[in-house]
Amino acid sequence: PAGGVSLRLCSTRVTLEGINKPLIERIIRVDHAGEYGANRIYAGQMAVLGRSSVGPIIRQMWNQEKDHLKKFNELMVAYRVRPTVLLPFWNVAGFVLGAGSALLGKKGAMACTVAVEESISDHYNSQIRALMEDPEKYKDLLQVF
Amino acid sequence: MAAAGGLRRAGWRLWRGRAVLRCQLSPPQRALRTSAVLRRVSEEQKEPLASSSQQQFDSHPTDPRPEQEPQGPRPSYTGQGGQESEDYESEEQLQHRILTAALEFVPEHGWTAEAIAEGAKTLGLSVAAAGMFHSDGSELVLHFVSQCNTKLSELLEQEQKQVQLGEAEKKPTEQFLRDAVEARLRMLIPYIEKWPQALSILLLPHNIPASLNLLTSMIDDIWHYAGDQSTDFNWYTRRAVLTGVYNTTELVMMQDSSPDFEDTWRFLENRVADAVNMGNTANQVQSTGEAVVQGLMGAAVTIRNLAGLNQRR
Repeated sequence: PAGGVSLRLCSTRVTLEGINKPLIERIIRVDHAGEYGANRIYAGQMAVLGRSSVGPIIRQMWNQEKDHLKKFNELMVAYRVRPTVLLPFWNVAGFVLGAGSALLGKKGAMACTVAVEESISDHYNSQIRALMEDPEKYKDLLQVF
Repeated sequence: MAAAGGLRRAGWRLWRGRAVLRCQLSPPQRALRTSAVLRRVSEEQKEPLASSSQQQFDSHPTDPRPEQEPQGPRPSYTGQGGQESEDYESEEQLQHRILTAALEFVPEHGWTAEAIAEGAKTLGLSVAAAGMFHSDGSELVLHFVSQCNTKLSELLEQEQKQVQLGEAEKKPTEQFLRDAVEARLRMLIPYIEKWPQALSILLLPHNIPASLNLLTSMIDDIWHYAGDQSTDFNWYTRRAVLTGVYNTTELVMMQDSSPDFEDTWRFLENRVADAVNMGNTANQVQSTGEAVVQGLMGAAVTIRNLAGLNQRR
């Protein structure tokens, strides 16, 4: 497990001195929302293309996203960050986007996936740049990325 | 000769410093600033001056400022070198001390500037020190609430440590929430007569951001120590529910006249039980909903089969 964040029930507090709490909170909240949305996109795609030939591929990518979401859930509890209030919206929007792109056919689904992954990686890169301003302080978080 | 010249220069600088400050600053700020300036000036004098002139220098600060005395336990003017670091406190720390001292006058004067003035008097400051604060007693109430929240956090942290060390049993969630809210509300008991006034002060528009902040962080703390690890919308519903429980119980407490507020704690017990049941009900509703959806899907597939439409090409 990356990050070395300890996860005892009730005392999941990471040492919070010296770190820029608002920055960390924003980063974790946004990334969690992103992973959650990605999960819903794959769920939508599976609902339409689940039984076609690309089904197994989509399922495999979906499983990866589930892992990412789990990791961010742990981080969220460790840093005591609140989840975004728009979660129900991302729930529906993600599913609709996934199902909609899948209805355009396999190429459509793959194109949607590629676009989403590209924008996510751009986003994570800029977050890494923000954290790299003080690598020592944010060691744990950088390892996750 | 050099020493005398140095002393004259020091005296001149001191006189000039005090004159400047008298014109510019209000009394309490002046008290702090002059003492700081004087200490800095006295630092500058250390090298050129002999010790005798230094002591003569030191005698000046004690006379015009009696408010320095209450900082009693700390060695104010005994030494020549150790003054700066021990005595110099920030304005914020001074405000904290005044507000804490003012709390004991609240039952008599209410949450007002009079209570703050009385508190300042016990610290040996002039009543004009109350001029540092708003005239409506806002800071006093906010300071008190913040203190209570800190005490609650420490209490919950202690309990958690005990559970981790195995000295105590982990309480079930309902019990934990009840005890936490009760502990927090009990801190109001000494001020219960004037608490309605405090609540109305907290609801003043210019105080709402601060008081809302204090309330939400307290509720978040309670849930954190209760072991809440939700990362979905439950995070919000749980906190909203507990906030409702806390606020209604607080209001009931205002009007409770039973011995040791028994009625309040019984009310609290019922509300927390309702809240927990609501969670269970929500789960039941969701699983019922899911079951219904699955039933409909099954019906749709059956109809499609019957109509011969479900053939993979």
